[in-house]
Amino acid sequence: MIGMDLLSVLSYNLLFGRGKILYFGPLAVSMAAGYGVFVTRDWTGSYLLSLPVGLILASGISLVFAWMALRLTDDAIGILSLAVSLGAMAVILNWNSVTGGAMGITRIPRMQGIESLPAFAIASIVIGLGWAWLMLQVDRSRIGRNLKALSEHSEAAASVGISRARTYVIAFLIAGIGVTLSNVLYPQYLGLVYPSDFGFQYLVFFMMCVIAGKPGSVPGVTIATILLALVKEGIRFIDLPISLVGPLRLMIYGLILIIALYVRRKEMFPVQRTV
Amino acid sequence: MQLLLNALIAGSFAALLASGLALVYGVMGVFNLALGQMALIGGYVCWWCVAVAGLPLPVAIVCSLVVSLILAWISFDLFVQPFQRRHRFLPIVTTIALSMLLDGLILIVFHEEPRSILASGQRLLHIGDAILSVEQLVLICVTILFLSVLVWVLTSTPFGRKVRATVQHPEAATSLGMNGPLLRRSLFILSALCAACGGIYVGIDQNLSPTLGMHLTVKAYAAVIAGGRGSLKGAILFAFIIALLEQLAIGLPWFGVYIPAGYQGTVALLVIVILLLWKPEGVFGSRLRSS
Repeated sequence: MIGMDLLSVLSYNLLFGRGKILYFGPLAVSMAAGYGVFVTRDWTGSYLLSLPVGLILASGISLVFAWMALRLTDDAIGILSLAVSLGAMAVILNWNSVTGGAMGITRIPRMQGIESLPAFAIASIVIGLGWAWLMLQVDRSRIGRNLKALSEHSEAAASVGISRARTYVIAFLIAGIGVTLSNVLYPQYLGLVYPSDFGFQYLVFFMMCVIAGKPGSVPGVTIATILLALVKEGIRFIDLPISLVGPLRLMIYGLILIIALYVRRKEMFPVQRTV
Repeated sequence: MQLLLNALIAGSFAALLASGLALVYGVMGVFNLALGQMALIGGYVCWWCVAVAGLPLPVAIVCSLVVSLILAWISFDLFVQPFQRRHRFLPIVTTIALSMLLDGLILIVFHEEPRSILASGQRLLHIGDAILSVEQLVLICVTILFLSVLVWVLTSTPFGRKVRATVQHPEAATSLGMNGPLLRRSLFILSALCAACGGIYVGIDQNLSPTLGMHLTVKAYAAVIAGGRGSLKGAILFAFIIALLEQLAIGLPWFGVYIPAGYQGTVALLVIVILLLWKPEGVFGSRLRSS
């Protein structure tokens, strides 16, 4: 789980943590990627054909979000990216013949070479840590620096020649690739794609990791993701009635998020620098 | 006719939520993403008072509004004010945390089963070939009356002038002696009370369900954003437009095919997304006045 969470969280960190873009759309990208890959695999029986389909769908919806981020005010992109996610969920739940509706897609086999659980776990960890290294490089690259400059003072950044459109498009596409990788692995771990796995609480988990780990910091967010993934999985083992575990998890997420935000309130949205 | 009546019913409820939000967003620039859960708490408390405690409906509504007022007051002090001072976007995230806490609380206290405030069957009226229940008629009339009073207060009273001045230029309004902090707190509580009324409306007209929260919030905010920042009339108008779009989407054949009911909300929200991509400041939005 840690490897798969790292892929999604670090991708979200690039936009929400580093770019300070009020973007709540990773759920929609996850749905496009997950269902794109596994519906195609169901039809063709081949991962080789289905992976590009998932990637194209995730990239497409990421580009739509990038366009929205360029066109709309910051708070409007937040709300409307949520609206798009709700819309994507409605499509998944109602297009039964393709998505399997509320039952999802079942009997998903693992890729060749990672059929056993230990092999799958090692592959996930390696891919997750590889993605963390890649995100560190992106953060130190021109794209990372441009995103930071745009988040600090967009007009000043534009005046020194930083293209907001180019930076956002590249950042959203990179984040889309990370989310796709995560959603290729996770259904293989469970053996199914299930609509509840794209619920709002997963977005809150991503936010929690980004804020707790220090928004924008790849090492910080990586450590926070590892620790919070352990907490997330640990909740399963609390000896409580099953009807209480779900609500309790929501409340624990809410509490961790508000505490993390209180501690990081100066770093999440820094006050604009002025002369 | 039935589609229009359905749109009027759904629109009145959405307008209740959107009107309070338009004020809070206009004055504070703050989004409260726990609004749907606040509406549900209002509805569930009313249901509990009627179904479990056996109180008459008017008393239950008063109890529900009191609980909502206390909840809004505490939420403002803990989740909005300390963060809003640092950055206006922080409350968006803090209210997401609040929504998770309230979601968990609702599930633990009221469970997942749908709850309806009025257990007995509704009395039906026939208007032409359309059907409307007496309860729905009363709810629509009360909501329209309430919204009319709200618009009148904002356009024709000294309090309304203060609110509009603060929407147009917060610093200038404060420099003229307006009590900004008190105004912000009052409006936040007013929006939570509007939401609670919306929750009670849903509980009387349909069923309360814990999963409704985020849908209610997103739909209400879509109306506020499409209406334009700080435009109360715009928010109310778009609440009704979204409700009408939802009804038209599934109630009429499109190119000979009926859209399944599950897509009802999605179609309207996508229309709003497209509208905003075309006109990002909203239809009735105005820019900050400057000299």
